[in-house]
Amino acid sequence: MLFVVLQIICGFLIFSLNPYQQATFSKLALGITASINKLSSNVYSYLDLKNQNSWLQDQISEQFRESYPQSFIYLNDTFHIKDTAKRPLFDAIPAQVVFNTAFKVNNVFIINKGSNHGIKKNMGVISSQGVAGIILSSNENYSTAMSLLNTNMKIIPYINGQEYYTEILWDNTKINSLKINRINKLERVKIGDVVSTGNSSLLFPKGIPIGHVSKITNKPKSQFFELEVKTATNFRNLEYVFVIFNNEYSNLKKLLSND
Amino acid sequence: MIRLLTYWTLVIGFQVLVLNHLDISSYIYPQVFVVLLLTLPLHLKKTYQFLIGFGLGLIMDLFIYSPGIHMSACLWFIAIRMIILERQDLKEHANNKSAYSIKTAGFSPFYYTTLILILFYHFYVLWIDGIGNMQVEHMILTGFSSSLLSLTIIGVFQALSLNRFE
Repeated sequence: MLFVVLQIICGFLIFSLNPYQQATFSKLALGITASINKLSSNVYSYLDLKNQNSWLQDQISEQFRESYPQSFIYLNDTFHIKDTAKRPLFDAIPAQVVFNTAFKVNNVFIINKGSNHGIKKNMGVISSQGVAGIILSSNENYSTAMSLLNTNMKIIPYINGQEYYTEILWDNTKINSLKINRINKLERVKIGDVVSTGNSSLLFPKGIPIGHVSKITNKPKSQFFELEVKTATNFRNLEYVFVIFNNEYSNLKKLLSND
Repeated sequence: MIRLLTYWTLVIGFQVLVLNHLDISSYIYPQVFVVLLLTLPLHLKKTYQFLIGFGLGLIMDLFIYSPGIHMSACLWFIAIRMIILERQDLKEHANNKSAYSIKTAGFSPFYYTTLILILFYHFYVLWIDGIGNMQVEHMILTGFSSSLLSLTIIGVFQALSLNRFE
């Protein structure tokens, strides 16, 4: 005990009164404290990831609303109503995927938002990369969505500024890979072209990426190409999504049904 | 007691006035004063040994202004000495209140103990002293050459004291 106490006194004298040793000790102490601070900062950052993700999702939602403003707002001078808000047609509600399948014939995923959050059947779901699916059903706090990797999923493709009256399908052959049949061979479609949502959907705003053309099969004795589309969303690690809420869905649907 | 004080004063004086000012080579830095700690009486309590080591180190540090370095080294020296001496059969000499020497321990154990402690002491001091400006080659050469010189001087001291006893 005495030995330890005396050694502590010696250590104090060595590292406080000898200039070289003092400098080395200061450098070492600085290095150690910097490492500890860095470690604690990393731990704190890791623990705070959930909050950061939530914040980022909110930011992306906000960005989403701002990205699709022009054609979706009521203009004051059109309606002549003083307090008409410039309300966007689409809103995005952030959600987290709590269950996901990607290896079945008809894949679905479940998100942690439900009817309590305003989520209803037939709402579009996108990831930060592109289209992810469509809401099938909801309870209070959770919703099930049909993934793009579902044989019942059908979306009209929009390629190179043109909407094609065919459908993108999943044929259960390859994960993250969809098929488009019936693209006329006269069309100028090439590998790498972005396939996105067009104007014909009430569930998604125009221009949300579905994927890109990864393969073009020129079938003999057919007037159509068969396109393979690599999905923009990676369904193997789908974690954060946004449910697209069309503020005028019921009105537009009513109009369409009247026609 | 006066004889002991004179002996200590002479050894410390020899260290601080002669050996600390040896200008033979930068590789020669002998620490002979540790012979005082090496040859402490065997019956001394551990607490006293540590306090003596601490005090002697403090004196050396004051003379060469190396605060804490010799104090720390002397404390380690005492601690290692205790460990080594516990393995040697010195109970009878401890009861007789004898000091540790060639006469009490015998040539081989004394030589082995001194070699370890002297090497340790020199390398420890050089290592602590070199923190922040370490030159390994210089430290190794200085450590060995200084230890060799110290061992020679201590050997002479012991031979003289042995002759005197006989």
